[in-house]
Amino acid sequence: MSDSLSRRSFLSLAGGTAVALAGLGLVGCGGSSSSSSSDSSAKSLSGTVNCSGATSFQPLVEAAAKKFEDENPDVTIAITGGGSGQGLSDVRDGKAQIGRSDVFAEEKLDASDAKALTDNTVCVVGMGPIVNSNVDVDDLTTDQLKGIFTGQITDWSEVGGTAGKIQVIERKAGSGTRATFEAAVLGGESAPADFAPVAEEDSSGTVVEKIQQTEGAISYLAFSYFDDTKFKALKVDGVEAKAENVCNGSFKIWAYEHMYTKDTDEVTQAFIDYMMSDEVQGSIVEEQGFIPANDMKVKKDASGTITNA
Amino acid sequence: MASETTAKQVGNDLGVDLDDHVKRIGRQDRVATGILTVIVAFVLLLLASIVAFILVKGLGKALTPGFLTTSPLADENPGISTEIFDSFYMLFITLLISVPISLGAATFLVEYAPDNWATKAASTAIETLSSLPSIVVGMFGSLFFVVTLGWGISIIAGAMALTMFNIPILVRVIQQALQDVPRSQRDAALAMGLTRWETTRHVLLPAAMPAIVTGIVISAGRVFGEAAALIFTSGSAAVNINFASANLSSPRNPWNIFRPAETLAVHIWKLKMEPTPGNDEIVWGTAAVLIICVLLFNILARVLGKALAKKMTSE
Amino acid sequence: MAKRLMPKKQLEGVGLTLTGACVLLVALIVITLIFMVAKQGLSAFFVDGINFFSFISGTSWVPSDGVYGALPLIVTSFGVMLLATLFTLPIALGSAIFVVEVQPGFGHRVFQPLVELLMGIPSVVYGLIGLTVVNSAMRAIFGEAAGTGAGILSGGIVLAVMILPTVTTLSIDGLAAVPNEYREGSYALGCTRWQTVWHVVLKSAMPSLMTAVILGMTRAFGEALAVQMVIGGVEKVMPAGLLSPAATLTTALTSGFSNATTGSIQYHALWALGLLLMAMSLVFILIIHIIGARGAKNRG
Repeated sequence: MSDSLSRRSFLSLAGGTAVALAGLGLVGCGGSSSSSSSDSSAKSLSGTVNCSGATSFQPLVEAAAKKFEDENPDVTIAITGGGSGQGLSDVRDGKAQIGRSDVFAEEKLDASDAKALTDNTVCVVGMGPIVNSNVDVDDLTTDQLKGIFTGQITDWSEVGGTAGKIQVIERKAGSGTRATFEAAVLGGESAPADFAPVAEEDSSGTVVEKIQQTEGAISYLAFSYFDDTKFKALKVDGVEAKAENVCNGSFKIWAYEHMYTKDTDEVTQAFIDYMMSDEVQGSIVEEQGFIPANDMKVKKDASGTITNA
Repeated sequence: MASETTAKQVGNDLGVDLDDHVKRIGRQDRVATGILTVIVAFVLLLLASIVAFILVKGLGKALTPGFLTTSPLADENPGISTEIFDSFYMLFITLLISVPISLGAATFLVEYAPDNWATKAASTAIETLSSLPSIVVGMFGSLFFVVTLGWGISIIAGAMALTMFNIPILVRVIQQALQDVPRSQRDAALAMGLTRWETTRHVLLPAAMPAIVTGIVISAGRVFGEAAALIFTSGSAAVNINFASANLSSPRNPWNIFRPAETLAVHIWKLKMEPTPGNDEIVWGTAAVLIICVLLFNILARVLGKALAKKMTSE
Repeated sequence: MAKRLMPKKQLEGVGLTLTGACVLLVALIVITLIFMVAKQGLSAFFVDGINFFSFISGTSWVPSDGVYGALPLIVTSFGVMLLATLFTLPIALGSAIFVVEVQPGFGHRVFQPLVELLMGIPSVVYGLIGLTVVNSAMRAIFGEAAGTGAGILSGGIVLAVMILPTVTTLSIDGLAAVPNEYREGSYALGCTRWQTVWHVVLKSAMPSLMTAVILGMTRAFGEALAVQMVIGGVEKVMPAGLLSPAATLTTALTSGFSNATTGSIQYHALWALGLLLMAMSLVFILIIHIIGARGAKNRG
């Protein structure tokens, strides 16, 4: 145990240094209370687990699956993408044992279907507003953000910056990222129908490309994509967009990454357990810019209400 | 000189200056040729700059030691070895399915097809296939091959979707090649008492082979770059393949056609959509590899075609 | 002489059956495809009760909120297709004329292989270049009015480059198929090369040139990933101009599918878009057939 503890602290230190060097400041909150044992491979497992769905944390699951497969040579985790909708339908229809989603199942499926699924929140993803590097605003209040993303504030001078048109880059309606952002910033309202942003991208990739290129652009992204060399992350109500602020509840824009299961078999459960173990939570999750679910001191329900954990 | 005078006289008689007219149309001709030259130069420049742009952006990464041989799932310096294997394997399976079908269909249409509505409907069906948007083929594949036939997100489902693109291209190429075989060869074979089937197999197909092989390789290049249809049918995640695996039914066995796979083109799309820092380099590196593959396919097609033609004429 | 054991007639039967089966298989796949797309797409109207006319004429597409008006997508699809054709046509036609009429040797040995290479460049790669080069160029030219640079014009430009090789190659084939006697006759009458091209060659190659253009349009209409990267993706309002960000039928499909659960209204509505796309490509095929029949009539 002491061995695994020291490795964990070493990893978070190393990860923290690397990330701090990159200027991101994405340090986990530490103090994980999870103690699930990671050496579950005493008994040999075999079988195939199909895991489809959201692409946002697919690299994370891929990395964990590879390690799991290395430890259990007879197990295959077959990962496919397709998006949250696909993942939820696949697990509902029994086509996949695990359905990845970045929204609660209740938002996409019928209540009865959603109820039949087991929700495993493997990690948390923080999201923050980002702007083109030339924008000279560093901090926005939630109200200002709301004004910008509903089309009431259209010039940077209205929020304390140099005059210039605010170019709003939205995500596609229906995407998990947009739903999370709107729930936290617009308070459940949605932008008026006649407000047309300059782009409605359906991937974080095109958002990154366009935020870099477009003068005066604003959008929002998951922390895992933050890159100071390409664009600037804003503070919200004076709170920096980083992992520890999400953990302690001071930064409000975040969501769970879910791995839904139904009628779990032994291998699937073993893989889910592995995902929740320190081996994944303490290393891969943080390395990839996500926040271990166990570190959270607050929790959110499907309607977006935040309570203390 | 005499004719010029006459022309002038005729022109004067008609009240127009023919000399001037000749000059004008001559100038028109030169201007037109000039414009055409500029257009062609523009097209060549466009092509050169597209290829150069990709190579400049990606060749450095593509040539990094280990990029082509490291798994995309490696912890450090992930490469594209799985994608390269998947791309070629998927192409191989696609050709394995589409070449025989296309050969058969083209032979039927050229040699046997009765001139009736059924034949017309069949060739219209093939034409329809060629005009369908790849996304529609992908959607169909995701429903029919993946769900209805129960193949799941798999190489075989992807290969079938690619087959649907490939068949119309191949059928057209083979049809053309068969029709280009000189009529005398066909007549001679039939006159010797060979059936149409024998004529096709032993005379026409060998004679058309160089053109057919060139066509197949060029179509392979196009299939190689398809992404939209594959996202729905063969998936967008690389499998942790294990060449030591002896169990053909294991999804980790590289040769298992019922496992998911990710081709180079899909890899580019996926990484571009999920912009984890460091992805950009891999994206352009993969693009460079893809372009080089397509280049090689084109060269290979020409070399193979020429070599076959040479071998046949020398026989 | 084992081969001789099979009577000729039977052998012919084997050939006919084998090759006929291949054609039948292809036809069956096509029929299955048409049937399945139609079934899924039509269930949006007949099972889920979306009104067909409001589907076609509605000006806002927000499937996640249950708003299904496909008009902005339809308009944008046609918009980018026409723009692409407009940009490509003069270039494709010009280079085809150069290659066939001015420098046939260069055309055959150098130009055509290179253009075929352009055809082999994958659409995702065109999308990548569009995202980095074309979008920036739009902003450099039009400034703030271009927004992020993503929009219908960007989409049209990327598609123009993508369909250029198709239209060029087919135009070359069309021009090359014009019998040489026509040209010789024209030259014998004292016409210049340009006059010959303009009045004789282009006129008699018209049906095949039109086919070339329509096949290019078909490709532009159906392209998805490359357009998706450069067009901006705004589906909820009608595009206001060439610089407005917008979404085509194909991009709405690629982005919509990841958020829809199978069997839902949203899912069926997306299939209805697929049905529209398929119907359009059938219309294109029909047009090509009509042109072909007319051309045959004029010649005959």
